[in-house]
Amino acid sequence: MLKVKYGVAGDPSIEMGVDVCLMVRDVSKRFGDRVAVDGVSFKVHRGEIYGLLGPNGAGKTTLLSMIAGILEPDSGEISIDGLNALDPKTRGRVGYCPQEPIVYDNLTGLENMMFYAGLHGLSGGHVKQRCRELLDQMGLGEYASRKVKTYSGGMKKRLSFAITLIGEPELLLLDEPTTGMDPRIRRSVWESILRLKEEGKTIILATHYMEEADELSDRVAIMDLGKVVAEGSPEDLKNRYGPKAVIDVELSKPATDPEAMIEEVKPYASEGRVMCRNGELRVHVDDPDIVAPKIVSELVRMGVGLKTLKITTPTLEDVFLRLTGRRLIEG
Amino acid sequence: MMWSAIKAFIVKELKLTFRSKASIFWIIAWPAIWLLMTAYVFVPPATGQPMTLKVGVVNYDVGSTSPFNGTTLIQILNESEYKGAKLFQVKVYENETPMLEDIRRGRLDGGFTIPEGFGENIIFGQARLKVYVGARSLQSAQIAESILRGFIQGLNNGISMRKVNETLRYIEIYSEKYMPKNLTIPVAGNRSWLDFMRDWMIGLASPINVSFQDVKPKAFVERSSILGWYTFGAIGMSLLYSGLIIGSTMAVREKEAGTLRRILASPATSTDMLVGKTLSGLITLGIMSAIIVILGVYPCGAKIIWNPMNPAHWLAIILLILVSIMVIGIGMILSLIARTTESASNLSVVLGLMLAFIAGIWFPKSWLPTWMKFLADIFPATWAIDGMRSALVYGATAAELMPTFLKVLAAATISYLIGIIAYKKTLRRYVVA
Ligand SMILES: Nc1ncnc2c1ncn2[C@@H]1O[C@H](COP(=O)(O)OP(=O)(O)OP(=O)(O)O)[C@@H](O)[C@H]1O
Ligand SMILES: [Mg+2]
Repeated sequence: MLKVKYGVAGDPSIEMGVDVCLMVRDVSKRFGDRVAVDGVSFKVHRGEIYGLLGPNGAGKTTLLSMIAGILEPDSGEISIDGLNALDPKTRGRVGYCPQEPIVYDNLTGLENMMFYAGLHGLSGGHVKQRCRELLDQMGLGEYASRKVKTYSGGMKKRLSFAITLIGEPELLLLDEPTTGMDPRIRRSVWESILRLKEEGKTIILATHYMEEADELSDRVAIMDLGKVVAEGSPEDLKNRYGPKAVIDVELSKPATDPEAMIEEVKPYASEGRVMCRNGELRVHVDDPDIVAPKIVSELVRMGVGLKTLKITTPTLEDVFLRLTGRRLIEG
Repeated sequence: MMWSAIKAFIVKELKLTFRSKASIFWIIAWPAIWLLMTAYVFVPPATGQPMTLKVGVVNYDVGSTSPFNGTTLIQILNESEYKGAKLFQVKVYENETPMLEDIRRGRLDGGFTIPEGFGENIIFGQARLKVYVGARSLQSAQIAESILRGFIQGLNNGISMRKVNETLRYIEIYSEKYMPKNLTIPVAGNRSWLDFMRDWMIGLASPINVSFQDVKPKAFVERSSILGWYTFGAIGMSLLYSGLIIGSTMAVREKEAGTLRRILASPATSTDMLVGKTLSGLITLGIMSAIIVILGVYPCGAKIIWNPMNPAHWLAIILLILVSIMVIGIGMILSLIARTTESASNLSVVLGLMLAFIAGIWFPKSWLPTWMKFLADIFPATWAIDGMRSALVYGATAAELMPTFLKVLAAATISYLIGIIAYKKTLRRYVVA
């Protein structure tokens, strides 16, 4: 049998008219007896944003480390433009932004940028100019010559993001790029990510924020316990796995006996899916117009006060719940 | 290897090092403290120079008519010189009480009491002389005692010889009158009776004719050379712990900063990181050594010779580089057991200081107990530091340094190669974990 070491048998980059940038095939990685990534396969097309959505411990970081070529898979294959991810030649094409900040507190923002520019083989007078541009893009221009230890967590993440762009990579691996940012800053990072997509970059975005995956991704892989449990565009996933509608009830005060309340509401829910968290009740329903009044009267009968009631469309969170029986962010 | 990456590591490391208060302490403040303390407390500026003792004298032998009396002794004390400097500064007291009080209070290094009849007794019997040794300061007490002892011994011999000569003069006069001329003594090699008498009496007065000669090389006793020795001791000490820190924290620091994975995902390789960090470490250690040399030479007065035309001096610089590489290599080996920046730094400092103290780098070998001497003999860092001392303080030639150079070269190569294996192993552990 013919074994191809780098790349995949056949031509991996042309497949039914789409240009495949990254191919992950049956990749597994275990740490001791813990399986972090378990037989994962997917393809990422050039120029798309591919979301990896999963809760803590789903294996997103492990997967990205293997794509970045710093961790070797136990089995399976990863190829970037036909080259094995462990091939040093791929290093220049991939921009990896790890989950944790990758900056030195005692260097300034610009000095951090210059350090990584050196690692990417850039030197000379224009480099400083380029670094300043990237800092400006991330809204860090005026902090360029301040030490990073004076930065907030969100600023450090933006600096890390700017660093990722330094080698003009074609494939970006962003591991939770907006964790710890306030909503306004998060929006601006999202805009930057979309701008990079417009420039033609391919982006893999690992996140446990379903809004982030929903808003940005062309396609999403939902990961849980090391496996990809579903893949598709956010709309597609919601249509396939989501309920028809979702009723969100805001309680006027936290329920005294949430378990009992869930039990009472369950008969009206689609497949019995009801969640209660922080004085909020979320019910998957198939026929909201009929069920909503019944739920209200049931709650009133129990003596639970209502503040608001919303009938909304399902989100990826609901898809995740449907697929795994658990919530994305435990709480 | 990618030069831009190596350069990036060098620049980054130097900035981080010289911005860290802890590094500045270990690189500059700590060796400076030891060096200044040594220069001004343990080897104070007067060391090795002729010393003038302050002595008190109480003379009860006043009005003696003897040709050698208390007054003569005071005059001798006043006129004694050593290497062109007065040996004593004499203060005369009326009686013993105030003099003893001054000795006790540390105002005098010692004192003499000349009893009544000193002059008579010195001619006709045995004179008594009371000598007190004081302790004006810790290091002057021993010196004062040895000077006073030496002086009294010299005085004793001198007076004995005078007495012998005086007696012989009388014997000669009388023997001419009453003895047969040319009387010889057969058992004493047929010498003349007079010669025999002279030798015999000199022998009585001073049975052994000792001549002491200063055989220590000049360099060892001069303060500037002693401080030159300690300057390299300070370099060796700081180089040990700093080099160990540089090696042992090379990988773990990046891991803890969260930067390691990003570095390894970049086109730069772990070898670029190793080379960059080793070079920046060598630059740091070089700057540190230069600062210590300047501190040693200027405020402390160490003698360090430097002649760019002398190959031995360049060989000493190469020894410095080699020992730095060696210590960084040993540090990388330590990273196998010390798995956090903090534990690695602590282990490095403790181990570095301990080795400096027990392996003949900071304390001279001659002070050490046997097992430490053995350690000093087999520790390559001590070879290198001693090699630098011999070239830059005592003027050894390049040919004399050659064996040391070869041994240190071998030790540095072996340590660094094992260090590289340890470094790769450490990195693998950190990327997976
Ligand atoms: N070096 C390691 N040694 C042992 N177990 C590990 C290691 N790295 C990850 N794991 C385990 O592998 C699983 C997947 O971890 P991973 O960090 O990839 O998840 P993740 O999806 O990125 O989670 P998070 O959202 O918390 O970042 C987890 O159970 C984790 O405990
Ligand atoms: Mg993660």
